Amino acid sequence: MSEAMNIAPLARGSQWKQRFLQPLLRQRSAMAGLAILAIYVVAAVCAPWLATHDPTAQDLMAALQGPSAAHWLGTDSYGQDLYSRLLYGAQLALIIGFASVALGLVVGVAIGLAAGLMGGRTEWVLMRIVDGLLAFPELILAMAFMAVLGLGTENVVYALALSFVGPFARMTRGDVLQVKNQPYIEAARLMGVGTAAVIWRHVLPNVVSPILVQAGMRISIAILLESGLSFLGIGVVPPTPDWGLMIAEGRAFITMAPWISGVPGVALAILLVALNLLGDGLRDAFDPTTQKDA
Amino acid sequence: MQQPIFSLLDVERTYELRASGWLNRTPRQLKALDGVRLDLQRGDTLALVGESGSGKSTLIRLMLGLEPASDGRVLYGQRDLAQLDAEERKRFAREVAFIYQNARGSMNPRMRIADILAEPIRLHRLCEESAIAPRVVALLDRVGLPAGLLQRFPSELSGGQIRRVAIARALAAEPQVIMADESVAGLDVSVQAQVLNLLRDLCRESGITLVFITHDLGVASYLCEKIAVLYLGRIVEQGPTDAILNTPRHPYTRALLQAFPRFDAPLKASLSGEIPSPVDLPKGCRFAGRCAQVQAACRETDPALTALDADRQVACLFPVAAI
Repeated sequence: MSEAMNIAPLARGSQWKQRFLQPLLRQRSAMAGLAILAIYVVAAVCAPWLATHDPTAQDLMAALQGPSAAHWLGTDSYGQDLYSRLLYGAQLALIIGFASVALGLVVGVAIGLAAGLMGGRTEWVLMRIVDGLLAFPELILAMAFMAVLGLGTENVVYALALSFVGPFARMTRGDVLQVKNQPYIEAARLMGVGTAAVIWRHVLPNVVSPILVQAGMRISIAILLESGLSFLGIGVVPPTPDWGLMIAEGRAFITMAPWISGVPGVALAILLVALNLLGDGLRDAFDPTTQKDA
Repeated sequence: MQQPIFSLLDVERTYELRASGWLNRTPRQLKALDGVRLDLQRGDTLALVGESGSGKSTLIRLMLGLEPASDGRVLYGQRDLAQLDAEERKRFAREVAFIYQNARGSMNPRMRIADILAEPIRLHRLCEESAIAPRVVALLDRVGLPAGLLQRFPSELSGGQIRRVAIARALAAEPQVIMADESVAGLDVSVQAQVLNLLRDLCRESGITLVFITHDLGVASYLCEKIAVLYLGRIVEQGPTDAILNTPRHPYTRALLQAFPRFDAPLKASLSGEIPSPVDLPKGCRFAGRCAQVQAACRETDPALTALDADRQVACLFPVAAI
């Protein structure tokens, strides 16, 4: 008995390592992506301490300056410090990326679970709604909703989340249909396990890993879409430090001051590459059907 | 007479088959169970024996309430299984445990053995949270497995181990009735013997009522005191194990016995042909087509299960004479 107790935490730890950490560690490019993402996260979290200027303080006397000791990455046409704006922009990009995917995931998984488990007419109605959402390209759908909801950071999150509901719902439903006919679901019901517990303990854990992998990949799409919306002028409201906005602002001065667009553009590109590397790594590590030969 | 714990009153189960033709749209019916009458007393050990497709699994699913009876009633104690309220359903779930044929498939692949075994205990609040861990260990010990398996996942266990875990899980809720579907089929002989001994000891020690599906008469005779022989959805012979094995009265039971390999007699394939399709059953006795001593009347009248003596019933117009 005592022996079993001693073994338990150890075994649990090594199991976790074996199942999650090792396959991921083996993916070199994923680890590179993770490292870059970690730098971004640190920069975003520590933005208030790392920034040298207030990101929205305008100093028209110092407008359109190149990189210097005072302004490490130069200034834009309003004289705002690009380095500080870049840091706060990372904060915003990551928050919007994670929040919109999280929201879309929760709603999408809920719809997928309801459709898959209830079946019948409920399923038909829910899946037709999802089909409707999936009929629009993500950017178009998000644009339409921004037009309805109006500008603002929160509205960007809602609009993006909405465009992610469809894929998550469809994916969840497919997996749920497969899992719900497994004997262990029936066995649990037979033992008298309540519906909520069956869903939470037996259905969800068996459908969740492809969904999480998908969520990882969607974050980069969310950040790209958010920058696109802001670039088009239907995203966050202007003085907010946002990469899409910064790129749009710099467009007019691209020949005189290429750093205004260039700095946030490069930052965005690197972040997206890192997220995609990580997403691909996650998929390869956990999806047995796409496992590559080493 | 004692109150039966399970009684099946002329239970039928029909499945509608979609008509295949364009013009012929009348759905055909598949009778998986047809007029099954069965009483199970507390402490009974009953083997359901029959070929594949005879309705053994359907019968047990009906008794578990997993499928509704198309006609007739399944009573648990005094109550109709189809009309249990939430409270009674919960009690039923605790008192009746089922061991799946596919033991591995009946366990959540993402749960550890410890959690799988703890689930029914926690669910029915059989003991305090702190007492669950030792109880799970005791369960594993009871089925002869080491506590070291607790942190494993079902996919990491061998076929014999996983079946014993399934039995341990069935025992976890301290049931009064255990139903098992082919729980030893496909195991190698030594593991099969372990599992059988385990089940037998459990029934003797705890007075558990056991319903055991098997197509192996040897297993049935070892484990169970009573046998019910099913053929095409109907019980054709029922009675104490010794009596049925020594003096089978139904030609089908006799044929089954003869098909069973023995050391001292040559094996003859006494049953020719396949079990017929349960769709559109022929008139008369359902075994007539394969019966060795079929007579003209057999093709006209469908024999009902009638009592031969106190605890012996047979569904045959011309029962084989007791030797």
